[in-house]
Amino acid sequence: MIFAHIFFYVFAIILVASAVMVVTARNPVHSVLFLILCFFNAAGLFLIAGAEFLAFILLIVYVGAVAVLFLFVVMMLDIDFSELRAGVQRYAPIGGVIGAILFLELVLVLGGWKVSPLAAGLRLTPMGYGISNTDAIGRVLYTQYAFLFETASLVLMVAMIGAIVLTHRDRRRSKSQVIAQQNARNPADTLAMIDVAVGAGVKAADIRRPDPALERPGEVVVLPDEETHEPVLVAPEPRSH
Amino acid sequence: MQPLLSQYWPILIFGAIAGGIAVAMMLGALFAARQKPYAEKLSAYECGFEPFDDARRRFDVRFYLVCLLFIIFDLEVAFLFPWAVSLSHIGLFGFFSMLTFLAELTVGYVYAWRRGALDWE
Amino acid sequence: MNWIVALPEIVLALSGMAVLIAGVFAPRPGAFQLTSMLALGALLVTAGLVVIAPAGVGYGGLYVADAFSRFVQLLILAGAALAIILSLDFNRQEAELARFEFPVLILFAAVGMMIMVGATNFMTLYLGLELQSLALYVVAAFARDSLRSSEAGLKYFVLGSLASGLLLYGISLTYGFSGSMSFAQVARALLSGTPSVGLVIGMVFVISGLVFKVAAAPFHMWSPDVYEGAPTSVTALLGSAPKVAALALLLRVMMGPYGHLLSQWQLLIEIISIASLVVGALAPILQTSIKRLMAYSSIGHVGYALMGLAAGTQSGTTATLIYLATYLFMTLGSFGVIIAMRRQGRSVETISDLAGLGRNDAGLALAMTIFMLSMAGVPPLSGFFGKLYVFLAAVQSGLWTLAVIGVIASVVGAYYYLRIVKIMYFDAPVRAFDRRSPSLSFVVAASGIVTVFFIIVAGPVTAAAQAAALALLG
Repeated sequence: MIFAHIFFYVFAIILVASAVMVVTARNPVHSVLFLILCFFNAAGLFLIAGAEFLAFILLIVYVGAVAVLFLFVVMMLDIDFSELRAGVQRYAPIGGVIGAILFLELVLVLGGWKVSPLAAGLRLTPMGYGISNTDAIGRVLYTQYAFLFETASLVLMVAMIGAIVLTHRDRRRSKSQVIAQQNARNPADTLAMIDVAVGAGVKAADIRRPDPALERPGEVVVLPDEETHEPVLVAPEPRSH
Repeated sequence: MQPLLSQYWPILIFGAIAGGIAVAMMLGALFAARQKPYAEKLSAYECGFEPFDDARRRFDVRFYLVCLLFIIFDLEVAFLFPWAVSLSHIGLFGFFSMLTFLAELTVGYVYAWRRGALDWE
Repeated sequence: MNWIVALPEIVLALSGMAVLIAGVFAPRPGAFQLTSMLALGALLVTAGLVVIAPAGVGYGGLYVADAFSRFVQLLILAGAALAIILSLDFNRQEAELARFEFPVLILFAAVGMMIMVGATNFMTLYLGLELQSLALYVVAAFARDSLRSSEAGLKYFVLGSLASGLLLYGISLTYGFSGSMSFAQVARALLSGTPSVGLVIGMVFVISGLVFKVAAAPFHMWSPDVYEGAPTSVTALLGSAPKVAALALLLRVMMGPYGHLLSQWQLLIEIISIASLVVGALAPILQTSIKRLMAYSSIGHVGYALMGLAAGTQSGTTATLIYLATYLFMTLGSFGVIIAMRRQGRSVETISDLAGLGRNDAGLALAMTIFMLSMAGVPPLSGFFGKLYVFLAAVQSGLWTLAVIGVIASVVGAYYYLRIVKIMYFDAPVRAFDRRSPSLSFVVAASGIVTVFFIIVAGPVTAAAQAAALALLG
């Protein structure tokens, strides 16, 4: 029992201290690192409260994924954070007032701690002892609350669509290999055999440049002519031998 | 105090040892290593990078997209844990409610794939 | 597990996914057109299902289909469908907007709104609200290469998340002090004895969160910026269906679980309503952008709709529902006109651009006149009936101050609505707008007909709203 108490205070103190550091750290990357420390200590508190599922979800989702995303965002924003902080002094009084009001409300809530008589009965956990927290969540989440569970999946899907819609662009900077196109090419489309008389030179044989690689047979490609600087039509018919 | 908590002793000890080693290494470097900083040491070596510089660089937004997709699938996996634990109690209905959930996200996955969000270039 | 009560939502969600897959496999240039048409079909089918699906409580008390949810869901589906029709041609004229995800996101937003108004549990409420908000944040930022649209989306997202945070905090306090998430159980817990301070503070947080979503006065700051920055087809959506859904949700929460705390929240809603009326009456006078004007005007309309809620009676609920029905069509019609404001392929958005519309395009000017007069509350247009009912409800409940301020606000508001009419008919004409597209004319005409001939259907609509209010109050 005493150990639980000791660890509660250790975790709680580190949690509050690192939360303060998240807000006050000069370097935003340090803020994110302190946030991760916060998450770890909050997970410890959840464990002490007996909510091991929440504790590990906090570690897996928040530390494993969300904090990484935060780091990306902090690094992606190439802005001067000291400039952003300039307003802190100016807005400190009003922020302090709002914080004080919220704190006062919390005190009021605690002071007026009068729970509805029905509440105690309603709040009893549906599961008896000997069932782990994770199991207890699983037994209601997928049956009793299936409607909400499927709605949550819709929310995730909308998040996926949103992320792609807002950030994905079709771009082709490097040349990628399209195997289907390569296989569809046949020699008649691309290869022309020409007999060149000895000493006649390439001009006489009407060899100017190779035909461009075509996306599909029969396509007409416009190329600028080197000498006249006017576009010439290069017909894709293969010249016969 | 739940008996559950005693199962986490090894993790606590593990954490303490890991933290101890990390602190020991930092302090060890501070005390044992010779530290003679001078101007040449701190300047860039020939055409190399500045040794002390702001590490913040503009990342391509595509990293962000990958990260977001990762979070979404990470959450999906998080929902699988309680399901796996309680599978013997929730019956066929519970089994199929998870399959529906996975099917909905598979639709999103097919969309992401076809849209090319999973290709890098 | 009475799953059939949520059949319309299930069908709409499944068709949303089907449309998404159809869009991603369709050839790119025609995909937007295809998904828009499919989405319209899905909304139509869902509306049919809403009418015929059985009423009842489903999913162990998580969701209810009753006359109230049916009434509001039909309004939501109509709003979403008209917004998609408005976007058909507009999105193709603007760069980057004609992507096939647009109607898909609107479908999912509609699913979220439908779940919201059928919620009988705080968790259902929250998930529905987040589903619609998330989809709307994305469509607000849909023109991602436009700085204004991105800014609008970001503002909407950050402030909307703040509102969600307030709402969640309030829900958690409510849960902690009453012991349940279910509306019925919370109401029962409140029945016995005086409520604790914690519960009242929780309720105030819930009200703040929801009022934020409907953009009523002290929490309205985000709405003009978002309205102005978002693409106009998105603004038309934001101003119509989500407002109706969020106000209906507010009705359900205040009349349901918090119904026994009427004496605690009545004054609060009254103050919010008065503040919205004042902002909605005075702020538009200074605007030059028609989209900002519409934003402030919609804040005023929310003030009127909240009057019915402040009355706290069945007739007040009926009045709010009728007001929402009239508001939806007036707003969509006006946005149809605003979308028609294009010169040489570019949208123009200032009020003075309307000058001379009476001579250049008599039909459009007539429609805009109808919407403006209706918003000002001129009989026999639909807006008059909405105002009449909320004033009556407020007076019946003895809220004389509120009713008097409402009348004064509508007189002041008439000034800027009439100013637009004056600009259209009497100011020196500027160049005509581009030829308007048929989809747009359809929406404007349909909304205009509803607004003008509301008097004919006023009886059945009132009866339906009364049935809805009865279902809500039991």
